[in-house]
Amino acid sequence: MRSVFRLSLRNLASNRLRFALTAFSVLLGVSFVVASFVLTDGLLKTFDNIVEDANADIDAQVRAKSDFEEVAFEDRPIDQSLVEVVSAVDGVGEVSPGTESGKIVPVKANGDPVETAGAPILSFNWTGSSLSPLTLVVGEAPDGAGEFAIDESSADREDLVVGETYDIIGTEGREPFELVGLTRFGDENALAGAVLMSFTLDELQRIDGTEGLLQWINVSAAPDVEDAVLIERLEEALPEDIEAVKGDVIIEEDQDEFSTVVNIFGNILLAFALVAVFVSTFIISNTFNILLGQRVRQLALLRALGASAGQVRFSAVLEALIIGVVASVLGLGGGVLLAVGLRELMNVLGFSLPSIDIILSTRTIIVAALVGIGVTLGASLSPARRAASVPPVAAMRAGFRFGSGEGTRRTIIAIVLAVLGIAGMGYGLFGGSDDTALLLLALGLGAVLVFVAVSMFAPLFSSPSASFLGSPLEHVPRSKITGHMARENAARNNKRTASTAAGLMIGLALIAMASVVASSLKESFRAELGSTLVADYLITPATDGGQFSNQLAAEVAALPEFSEVSAVRYGAARIDGDEKGVVGTDFTVLTDLLDVDVLDGDPVASADPGFVLLTQEAADDNGVEVGDPLMVEFAATGSQILTVGAIYDNPFLIAHYLVDLSGWDANFDAQNDNVIAAKAASGVELADADAALTSLEDAFPQLEFDTRDEFREALEGELDSLLVIINVFLGLAIIIALLGITNTMALSVLERTQEIGLMRAIGMTRRQTRSLIRFEAAVVSLFGALLGVLVGLAFGWIAVIAIPESLIDRIAIPVGTLVFYVVLATIAGLIAASFPARRASRLNVLDAIAHM
Amino acid sequence: MTEVTQNQAESHEPTGPSAATMAASAVGLTKVYGEGNTQVVALDHVDIGFEAGKLTAIMGPSGSGKSTLLHCMAGLDNVSEGEVHVGETKISTLSDKELTLLRRERMGFIFQAFNLVPTLTAEENILLPLLLGGREPDSEWKDRVVDTLALRDRLAHRPDELSGGQQQRVAVARALVTRPDIIFADEPTGNLDSISGQEVLGFLRRAVDDWHQTVVMVTHDPGAAGYADVVVFLRDGRQVGRLEEPTADLVLDRIRALEV
Repeated sequence: MRSVFRLSLRNLASNRLRFALTAFSVLLGVSFVVASFVLTDGLLKTFDNIVEDANADIDAQVRAKSDFEEVAFEDRPIDQSLVEVVSAVDGVGEVSPGTESGKIVPVKANGDPVETAGAPILSFNWTGSSLSPLTLVVGEAPDGAGEFAIDESSADREDLVVGETYDIIGTEGREPFELVGLTRFGDENALAGAVLMSFTLDELQRIDGTEGLLQWINVSAAPDVEDAVLIERLEEALPEDIEAVKGDVIIEEDQDEFSTVVNIFGNILLAFALVAVFVSTFIISNTFNILLGQRVRQLALLRALGASAGQVRFSAVLEALIIGVVASVLGLGGGVLLAVGLRELMNVLGFSLPSIDIILSTRTIIVAALVGIGVTLGASLSPARRAASVPPVAAMRAGFRFGSGEGTRRTIIAIVLAVLGIAGMGYGLFGGSDDTALLLLALGLGAVLVFVAVSMFAPLFSSPSASFLGSPLEHVPRSKITGHMARENAARNNKRTASTAAGLMIGLALIAMASVVASSLKESFRAELGSTLVADYLITPATDGGQFSNQLAAEVAALPEFSEVSAVRYGAARIDGDEKGVVGTDFTVLTDLLDVDVLDGDPVASADPGFVLLTQEAADDNGVEVGDPLMVEFAATGSQILTVGAIYDNPFLIAHYLVDLSGWDANFDAQNDNVIAAKAASGVELADADAALTSLEDAFPQLEFDTRDEFREALEGELDSLLVIINVFLGLAIIIALLGITNTMALSVLERTQEIGLMRAIGMTRRQTRSLIRFEAAVVSLFGALLGVLVGLAFGWIAVIAIPESLIDRIAIPVGTLVFYVVLATIAGLIAASFPARRASRLNVLDAIAHM
Repeated sequence: MTEVTQNQAESHEPTGPSAATMAASAVGLTKVYGEGNTQVVALDHVDIGFEAGKLTAIMGPSGSGKSTLLHCMAGLDNVSEGEVHVGETKISTLSDKELTLLRRERMGFIFQAFNLVPTLTAEENILLPLLLGGREPDSEWKDRVVDTLALRDRLAHRPDELSGGQQQRVAVARALVTRPDIIFADEPTGNLDSISGQEVLGFLRRAVDDWHQTVVMVTHDPGAAGYADVVVFLRDGRQVGRLEEPTADLVLDRIRALEV
């Protein structure tokens, strides 16, 4: 076996470049997988540490009892008078009352409000206590009215200078504050793009509109007092709806919150990584097959010299194993680098992530090895089996060719895989299981099987397709013959063309699917907006989830240019044990602003705290009709029996449950608005209405004042940005696919060395030689891209059917975009072939002709 | 023309070839491979001319430099020293592109094996040099070539559907179709059975006789050399003999004489 091992090494060495390219495609896939783990582990660890450091000295926290999810970063408030109750408890050391607001926005010197890339802008009361994670690094702590501090990264990013005065927009409007100091959160101020401001407690409560209210009271235990004892005593002293929890609990809750977010992020990265790995599997398999074909003579000679079929097979598998090990090891390193790179990229994009510890967990290493070695070994099995089937006589006889695969058997397997794949996808999309992970797994595996099946079918039509797609090349001016030969070459080896194109097919299919879903979503949204949104104007916060003072709605309503105005508030309540989204709005104008399609009952008559409106779907769920009672449990007021005032059909832009603003006032703590919808008075031009809002726009720079069209464009813009991010990540799979094209073309050049030498001898210029290779790659790429778009259209169509009609009710095919992607992929394939094209054109003519 | 000047030939014919009647010529042509101790002199100051309108055979034992000479004359290999002219053109200073165009437009090539592009039909293979240059073939001339080589009913076939002899005839047709200044044939019959070989040689002979083409052919087969007007003998990188109006027997005799 030692000799077999040596043979494998020799062979690897003599095909260095080929194997390097192969290993590189595996390496990229492994790196991506490793990076997603390293980044996730590192971020989790770092956030855990930050949370621990920040809360290390807190022995107990007093807060409102609530088993509701937090809404917009805020807990239910508690009364400030509890500070005295807590301080009076025996065994209490330091007491640090705290509140937090996400509704306060600083304005930069240039008059623009500070905006983030999605991270919150949070304000805290400055305590100076060791119980706070904030420390002062520059200047003074805020110590009176009109003073604030901000974290050092945000000051740096937004050019805020200590000693200068800036406007601060609170819920009551804007007023000037002096920036007196800069703070740091934890050791690094790694806030993932969030902005932290500090005020005195009184000032914060005032501008937040929460005078007399706190969100928590942090407590440290006096010396010699056990935490458990402290909690017990606190609980005794506190009213029923207030709880005292251990510091550990706070840490755990915060860590859970972070890890949920980080894990989602990590899983998304991992999903893209697996796509990349999948594509690289195709490339490796293809490379092995081509190399095998080129080594028939060598293999046959070995067999003739007495090597057993088993030894030949073993040597082929061994080569794969060596490549897999090398790629896995390098991929681990590459993954760490990629993780660091991704973190840097995120920082550049404005998510200041903490510097992460590089944690190479055992799991990461095992997965890297499994992926790298598994994928290469798996890809080598079939070529190895075929290698062992080379008869010794092939050494003596020219022209031995591997059969083009057992046609019928192959087709049957492909059909079985396709059926299984479609079944898997169908279950994933329509299965209706409550286990999301299971559904996603079925969906993913189904898609994988479909891709494999398509790639197995592809050789059946790859040659005629390539020939057809390449036919325009025959009209390339001055280079008809080069185009003709490129076309013939692309159609020459159906299997090779099919498997080379498969990588691009997968990448393009996913991109096309995303595009179809996105454009269907846009079209549906546009149509829905056109038919449902009656309001001319929408006022929304620039930062997602932002809230603003309920005064603004009154001010807009006071303008004569507007007839109907309603605030919209987003919250949650529990209905029949499940937490549901509840929206507060003004029932008297609801149907004037939004055509919700009332099926039964009268919203206007239900403008009273005792009513709830719900969609037909929600009514069916609860088995209620207009006039029936419905038990709704609010966080602030507990269970309330409301009457169903009306049933409507369309939950677009709102939720399945609606309460009147008066009902909101009665049952929710916070009385801030999320959205204002307004309709211009009849006879008022939109431009005049726009002008009337100018002064309010100045006063509330943190809000977007959008006409219906602007609102639609803004949302579509967000969707487009999301699509860009998805495509960037899928881009890695495309890059791997392109590497595959480079690899295949390099191998083809090698295989056709003599042919190229001959053509060069009889008068083909270097330039024509390059074109020949590039054109061929372009045809193969075009084939892969088109096949991908077809599969992607099918996937997109299935996805659109599976997505609830309330989101997508029609399919829209972004023809222009898809054509653009196909053209782009074709050009990319052309470029990917540059290196082999160059090699081909530089071949020494005589050596090439003499090449065997 | 029929003078057999054996003595003259053996004295290396020092007079430089006159460009006027020469389709291609070389002066002081030297080709050295490698450096230092491993240096091999493949051609050692060869002065040679290939007369226009003649079929010249180059013979010599393995390693004599006969193929190297052909390659250097055809611009497929660069020379270490000396000058090579094709017609009036000095080729040793041409760029790759100029050389390529020269090969395409003014030379024809027939190799021993792998003469044809497997993805192209016989007709496309024949026309390839013209097509590469984006030129329209002279269809009358093409028809004559095709008919002479009896390839009419084979034009639509791919190389793997042709016999070895047919493939080589396609190569001959391709070399002729551009009516080049000179055709280089490297062991054109090396891979053929004797009947096919004789066919191919007969066509080369006719190309010279009927169409006044110039052919330079490397061969190790005295029978093949017997078709030539002139045979040039090479040994150890030098020209060691020249035979006009050869027959296979004369060539054999000469080879025996040279190897003694």
